[in-house]
Amino acid sequence: MDLSIIEKLITFITLPFQSFLTIEILLIFLLILMFLIYNEKRQNKKVKYAITALIIFFFSLLAFYFSEDIVTVLSEIVKTIMRCFYFPNIVFYILTAVISLVILIYTILKNNLTKLNKIITYVLTIIHLYLFTNFISLAIINNTSLTNIANIYQHDNMFIIVLFSQIIFIILILYKVIYHFCYIRHSKLKNTK
Amino acid sequence: MWLKDQIMQRKSKNIKSQLPKVGFFFLIIGIIVFFSTPLLKLRGEVFEEMRLAIFQLNINKNNDKTTISDINTENLEVTPENTNKAEENDKKANYSYIGELSIPKIKLRRGFVAKESRYNNIEYNVTVAKEADYPDVPLGNFILMAHSGNAYISFFDKLYKLQIGDEASVSYNAIIYNYRLTNIYNQAKTGTVAIYRNPNVKTLTLITCTHNDDYNQTIYIFEEI
Repeated sequence: MDLSIIEKLITFITLPFQSFLTIEILLIFLLILMFLIYNEKRQNKKVKYAITALIIFFFSLLAFYFSEDIVTVLSEIVKTIMRCFYFPNIVFYILTAVISLVILIYTILKNNLTKLNKIITYVLTIIHLYLFTNFISLAIINNTSLTNIANIYQHDNMFIIVLFSQIIFIILILYKVIYHFCYIRHSKLKNTK
Repeated sequence: MWLKDQIMQRKSKNIKSQLPKVGFFFLIIGIIVFFSTPLLKLRGEVFEEMRLAIFQLNINKNNDKTTISDINTENLEVTPENTNKAEENDKKANYSYIGELSIPKIKLRRGFVAKESRYNNIEYNVTVAKEADYPDVPLGNFILMAHSGNAYISFFDKLYKLQIGDEASVSYNAIIYNYRLTNIYNQAKTGTVAIYRNPNVKTLTLITCTHNDDYNQTIYIFEEI
């Protein structure tokens, strides 16, 4: 961690030559890269499929050898998502409120949005921001330090407020993403017609 | 006839076009069902982490209290308001941990509630046996039980990985008791279990179902270090 820039560079360069396995991995990746670049000129379909199969095989092999670690990493990822959902830290929670606020302001100022879209966005963002404000006021009333997560969630009412505001936020984001996709698809269909 | 054929053709076309949607719906249902148990288990772990964090926070708060010398005695008077507050706290305390079991080798950290709590149940928590002594009892035997297997309440699902010499610790009343595994044995599931331990040493006993065996239970005996 306390290395200089030159030391970091030297370590990075010598990294692939530390063992036979690392050299082997380097060669496999170089080979795949060379085939890909060479095939851009030849445009051979067989090579395309062969390389795709080789990449899938290589990563399946890795997944097979490190299956336990992969499961651990995946469960850690899921747990992190769950932590963000059920017990978000105050930074993450403020971030969701800021996103909600930006979406609300954008919706107010944007003219070419449909009325229904605007109303749904207003309802969701206002509820979310109301819950966030309520959360802050509860923290002040309970004299809760927001830096420690356990301190926040030992109060049932604060846990419930955060949970509901997270649900509203997820609905808002899902709605925006689905609406955006439908909008793009719709406009593409219009263009093709 | 021609009209009938047309209608039939349209109907079959409609059914065919709906098939991928129905298939997709069942695929989603299948994925949800398949992943529900591991997801519930992970959710349980996340909630458990938070309960332990709150438990730790309360312990720290209690420890802080012992160092306070300026004690306000004004609130000592019993009023109906205070009684109501105490009742409310008691209700909450049903699910507040009184201690924590930790086995670093299998990354197990799990709280336990008081013997009298209705949540001292194998369907909710690692359960303290009625016959158990709490860890602060001299030469006592602290007995904990939990499910093993794949369910999200299988808190002892990795106990089978333990070997003689592995260590465990129990945090109780702000004191940590350290133990070392000295004996592992199986017994048939008959509804009762015999515990063979050294009565001259304080022990921790963990009981769970034997790994991949429906008819036996495994008993892990730890002795205090």
